[in-house]
Amino acid sequence: MFRNYLKITFRGLWKNKVFSAINISGLAIGMSSALLIFLWMQNEWSMDRFHKNEKRIYLMYNRDKDSRGETWAWPNTPKILASTLKKDYPEVEDVTRFNNITFLLSAGEKKLNKRGAFVDSGFLNIFSFPLLEGSPKNILKGSYSMVLTEKLAKALFGNEDAVGKIVRVDSVNNCTVTGVLKDLPGNTQFDFEYLLPWDYMHKLGWDDENWDNNSVKTYVLLKQGASASEFDSKIKDITINHTKGSPAASTTEVFTQPLSRAYLYAKSGNGKLVGGQIVTVRLFGIIAAFILLIACINFMNLSTARSEKRAKEVGIRKVVGAQKYSLVFQFLGESILISVLAFVIALFIVQISLGSFNQLVGKQLSIDYTNPLLWTFSLLFILFTGALAGSYPAFYLSAFRPVKVLKGAFKKANALITPRKALVTVQFTFAIILIISTIIVARQINYGAERQSGYNQNNLVYLFTQGDVDKHYQAIKNELLSSGVALSVTHSANPITQRWGDSWGFQWKGSTKADEKIDFLRMGSDAGFVKTMGLKLVEGRDIDIYNYPTDSNAILLNEAAVRAMHVKDPIGLTMHYTGDTNMFHVVGVIHDFIIESPFQKEISPMIVFGPGLDYFQVVHIRLNPEKPASAAIAGVQEIFKKYNPMYPPEYVFADESYAKKFKESERTGTLAALFAGLTIFISCMGLFGLATYMAESRIKEIGVRKVLGASVIGITSLLSRDFLKLVLVSFVIAAPIAWWAMSKWLDSYTYRIQMEWWVFLFAGIISLIIAMVTVSFQAIRAAIANPVKSLRTE
Amino acid sequence: MLELKGIYKWVNTGNHRTFLLKDVDLSVKAGEFISIMGPSGSGKSTLLNVIGMLDEFNEGEYNFLNEPVHKLKEKQRSALYKQYIGFVFQAYHLIDELTVYENIETPLIYQNIKSSDRKAIVADMLDRFQIVGKKDLFPTQLSGGQQQLVGIARALIANPKLLLADEPTGNLNSKQGEEIMNLFKQLNHEGMTIIQVTHSEKNAAYGSHIINLLDGMIQNN
Repeated sequence: MFRNYLKITFRGLWKNKVFSAINISGLAIGMSSALLIFLWMQNEWSMDRFHKNEKRIYLMYNRDKDSRGETWAWPNTPKILASTLKKDYPEVEDVTRFNNITFLLSAGEKKLNKRGAFVDSGFLNIFSFPLLEGSPKNILKGSYSMVLTEKLAKALFGNEDAVGKIVRVDSVNNCTVTGVLKDLPGNTQFDFEYLLPWDYMHKLGWDDENWDNNSVKTYVLLKQGASASEFDSKIKDITINHTKGSPAASTTEVFTQPLSRAYLYAKSGNGKLVGGQIVTVRLFGIIAAFILLIACINFMNLSTARSEKRAKEVGIRKVVGAQKYSLVFQFLGESILISVLAFVIALFIVQISLGSFNQLVGKQLSIDYTNPLLWTFSLLFILFTGALAGSYPAFYLSAFRPVKVLKGAFKKANALITPRKALVTVQFTFAIILIISTIIVARQINYGAERQSGYNQNNLVYLFTQGDVDKHYQAIKNELLSSGVALSVTHSANPITQRWGDSWGFQWKGSTKADEKIDFLRMGSDAGFVKTMGLKLVEGRDIDIYNYPTDSNAILLNEAAVRAMHVKDPIGLTMHYTGDTNMFHVVGVIHDFIIESPFQKEISPMIVFGPGLDYFQVVHIRLNPEKPASAAIAGVQEIFKKYNPMYPPEYVFADESYAKKFKESERTGTLAALFAGLTIFISCMGLFGLATYMAESRIKEIGVRKVLGASVIGITSLLSRDFLKLVLVSFVIAAPIAWWAMSKWLDSYTYRIQMEWWVFLFAGIISLIIAMVTVSFQAIRAAIANPVKSLRTE
Repeated sequence: MLELKGIYKWVNTGNHRTFLLKDVDLSVKAGEFISIMGPSGSGKSTLLNVIGMLDEFNEGEYNFLNEPVHKLKEKQRSALYKQYIGFVFQAYHLIDELTVYENIETPLIYQNIKSSDRKAIVADMLDRFQIVGKKDLFPTQLSGGQQQLVGIARALIANPKLLLADEPTGNLNSKQGEEIMNLFKQLNHEGMTIIQVTHSEKNAAYGSHIINLLDGMIQNN
């Protein structure tokens, strides 16, 4: 019996090739999209959840009010917090700080600039990053030990055993490799290729015990059975208590965030960690569910449309003795089999598209065929889809009396057209929402990209000062200028495209207590800042320590800072940190420029300090536009190499670095476009199937109308009209939903477009056209058919 | 073999009741070959479907091989006709996706006969109808006469006691029709009870007995 059914299934599929192809590929595409999203979601969900101690690990957070009275939470903590927690709180089993750095590592002839981290010795005890060699207990003891990942060990030492070997760090210190870690899995937020002990950082003089310098992440492992909420209430005032009585008394509270929530809930809302990545994960979950739903709807629509053609078979089978259960078994089995087929194709599609999808989402996803969750999920889905799609022919048709089915009596029961129309409406509603979203996302990105950054990004490059660059800075600068490679050079605290630090707690003549909460972004320069960056000077002059010796304490303010400080005449104003005697004097005001997100409407107040305060780590160079970029870059590299031969000169173009600010939104845009395209495609398949079915079921009506003199155009429009109505209804439903969803999305940007009515109109017209093209093919085919033929078959 | 007593069948259209069958009494003995005749709409096919248990009736008694059909449940009825009745249709009603062999085999599958036994039974049947050479063809590759031959082979495969035929030659040309009628006659000689519905006097004459139906009522017997 089973073989008989298999045969009839495959012959049926083969006989209706186009129909089968649409049906199976539609389902397969839907399944593969959902599978890709499922893989991505699973990766997001499992972020840092694999640590054995996961339930007892907490990330320390700060919470405080800004000058506007808004409460913020952020995970950068004072370096002294960790040791204090471990010393004073018995429920703390272990703590570790984590601070990313980039050093040049050399071993023999190999020189690599790599990202690593300073950590406390407890790091490998708290987190489960398995060691291939070495034991976690003693591995990060002493100042000059080092742990490498397998990949880095390979890169430095080839296939030789790395343990016991020496790595020269930053060309100043030698560290002994004491362990090799397995490469980090794809689902961790930690980003490092080597670990260095905190003691090393201490030896470099980068450690401090200030409670107001929030610069490192602190992780705590609580003892078994310790209560996090009790711990939270005990440590709440730890920073406040340690700074009490000092001039810079802090108001910052401390609290814990469980590691399990650290990745998904990292967005501060009124001082609480309320959302963040979880919103995106949920959104994608909804999209995946909808795409699956649409594919399912299609499959059902097409299967049931086809099953009416098979009514005759049902009738015959009943007459020759089939019981209802055997027909149910046959039809359900058949549609489940088709689901399985679609699933196999979907797996194939996922395998071949995973590479590009990974690139798109910036992850390393793969199908873990050993994951029972994946199989359970897939199996349930196959059964569900198959059963749903097969249920109509299985239960509805098989319940008919055979004579009626054979006579075609059931054809009057067109009751199912209404639910099908509803299903098509759902599909198009979703498709139109996605079209509108895609257009709005694209327009928003474009809006940000077209925004004036406030400085000249062309021909501007920067390099980090490593090795001897600091020592020879003057010589390098002179040579860059004299060789004609550069027009201007400035030594600065951080790249023009990146916000590195901020400060508050300033006082000036006429400032209030509330003004001390004004948060200023920090930048720094020795001289030539305005000229090198291509900024506009609003008043005063640039910092120039070479011509004005007191300029090491000079500062520039941007216009936003002047506005926030509400001072009339900023030039000559002196400012100082509360409780500090070091006075800064304002020498100039610069035009606002974008250093943070281009989608942030308000540009933050900024102070550009002279070299008295900050350690400068970046050299910005305004290249000579007269020279080709490649020649200018070659010149820059040559000069840096000459003075700093140990380090490969690695340069960054400011415009390329700036473009990275759009990466996240562009990713959203590309994904929206991709899923919009897929949804439309799958919906069109469904529409095509439905049109075929409608044309077929109205074949007699069409025949009669033609005999009575109806024209081809008349019949085509008669058949198409109904569908276009459905699209219009979809549009009416979709427009307000899209409006709502996109205003939510746009809310996350302060610098944003207004939603315009033409976007909606455009999306509506596009979907109408797509639907019309899809439907009219069938309609025309039905209209030009010979009526004699169609009337005879009835 | 079977006996109908006072069979009524009607449909309600609006508040008007139309009778399809009106007080039909009929008894058929084993080995008979009955032709039901009458103009279009006289209820011939309805009567045949009632006899074949494919259709319900509203009133009356129907005994088939001493089983009171009017008292049986759907499932029992279907088991009864599955075992004892074979159908032949005007439009053949073969399954297009199955080959000649598979079409003939289908009733046996529903009777849960083992695969090896099915092979033997179908092979015998193909032999008997001399269509062995066509066993792997699909219905659309056959002429009407050949299709009807397959239809009859399928009706006979499960060894029924009664063969019901609804205008079996209606879609065939006269030569093909004659062949089919001769086949029926031969089957009847071998002992098969046959009831056929027909429009044609000539075909009706093959039977041992003619029933004339008009407006759902039997005119003579």
